[in-house]
Amino acid sequence: MSAVEEKIKEIITGIVHCEGKALTPTTTWKDLKADSLDLVQVLVQLEETYGIEISDTDAEKLKSFGDLVAYIEGVVAARAKS
Amino acid sequence: MALPRVVVTGVGAVTAIGLNTSDFWSAMVAGKPGVAPITRFDASAYPSKLAAEIKGFDPLKYMDIKLAERTGPYTQWAIASTVMAMEMAGLDMRKEKSERVGTVIAATGDVHKIGDETDVLKARGPRRIDPLFMNRISAHMAPVQVGKFIGARGPNSSINSACASGSDAIGQAFNHLRLGRADVVLSGGTDTLVSPICVATMGLLGALSRDAESSKEPKPFDKDRNGMVAGEGAGMLVLETLEHARARGAKILCELAGAGWSYDARNDTAPDPEGEALAMKAALEDAGMRPEEIDYVNAHGTGTKLNDASETKALKIVLGGHAYKIPISSNKSMVGHLGAGAGGVEAVASVLTMVNGVIPPTINYATPDPECDLDYVPNTARKAEVTGIMSTSFGMGGQNCAIVFRRFTGA
Repeated sequence: MSAVEEKIKEIITGIVHCEGKALTPTTTWKDLKADSLDLVQVLVQLEETYGIEISDTDAEKLKSFGDLVAYIEGVVAARAKS
Repeated sequence: MALPRVVVTGVGAVTAIGLNTSDFWSAMVAGKPGVAPITRFDASAYPSKLAAEIKGFDPLKYMDIKLAERTGPYTQWAIASTVMAMEMAGLDMRKEKSERVGTVIAATGDVHKIGDETDVLKARGPRRIDPLFMNRISAHMAPVQVGKFIGARGPNSSINSACASGSDAIGQAFNHLRLGRADVVLSGGTDTLVSPICVATMGLLGALSRDAESSKEPKPFDKDRNGMVAGEGAGMLVLETLEHARARGAKILCELAGAGWSYDARNDTAPDPEGEALAMKAALEDAGMRPEEIDYVNAHGTGTKLNDASETKALKIVLGGHAYKIPISSNKSMVGHLGAGAGGVEAVASVLTMVNGVIPPTINYATPDPECDLDYVPNTARKAEVTGIMSTSFGMGGQNCAIVFRRFTGA
């Protein structure tokens, strides 16, 4: 698991309290029984952690753990290049 | 048309002197002080350094971690008190029509935290504040979360009329039941006054005791009283129509017989005995009871110079010479002032007084005051068969409410 994956997992687990549930790339919010309040807390925490701003349009596309990891890794990679 | 009668079948409380109903009541009867030096924040620069803080309350005893993280302590205390009250009442929501069960709770919320979050907003911008800020601090979240927790889909309201809120909420719940809008209403109050901004502002207004000796504060009705002490907690009742309680075979603790409201329309901070008396008279009239039928008053009794003298005058206006013959005591001498929670906890204590035949004392009482010349049950609880109790609550600003409990005789 990459450092980004580890960090996102830690954030999600801390907020959603889905300890014991496996987080795979295809795991969705629904699978975790996470609601919209969980989601907004996770996004705010990610913004804080990575110093980014996740637009509402982008946020709507982030349906699974894999989506989230790819998105954050993309942001981190883009920032490394610039 | 006669209105339906309303009874109390369960009570629950979380306070500084007991984290559950039975510990709370034992401490009340023992005259245990809940006041101590403030530990929640550094109060060394504050005019008042005392509070009755809740210590050691574990929300996870009553709810899962997610709900605990999404709610402020005031909501958690309300949920815990509700669970205890429902247990005592033997109220099983699976057997109730959910839309016929209401929730009416007095609350202020953790409004004192608005400043902290505004600091974050100013310093770090709108994307960095706690996204669940409203969930954690809003007054309405107390009845909202209680209603959701137990699955009650009837009337759901939060009441705020300052320190009169708790009794006000119970009175509003009483009317829902009498008007046929619900069969059962969970009602009471929850609040905290133990916050830096609250202790600072009430200290500046001169409302809080400035004495450092925690073991002697507050001193309701005492000549040397010098203010109230901030407290916190919740008290909840299960109220239901007599018909509903009988149909489910519930044990009836007592009857909620009357409620009365009034407003001083005079001064923001100074109480008006005539205004207070209007609420008490209205409550007695509502109950259809004469002054002589009240044999105990659970007083507002904050411990401020003005309140206790004004309340004493108001009691004499309403009860006449009978005021001198009956015991009157202040729960706030032990649990501090719970703000919107006060009326709820005092209603719980009133019901338990009637059920157990013991009147809790006014502790820290040493020196009689000519302006407060009634029987305040000084320092030691008293055994007494009580059949009619009036509980008074007066809010800063002049909102007043009194509620009356009567022994249930079955007739």
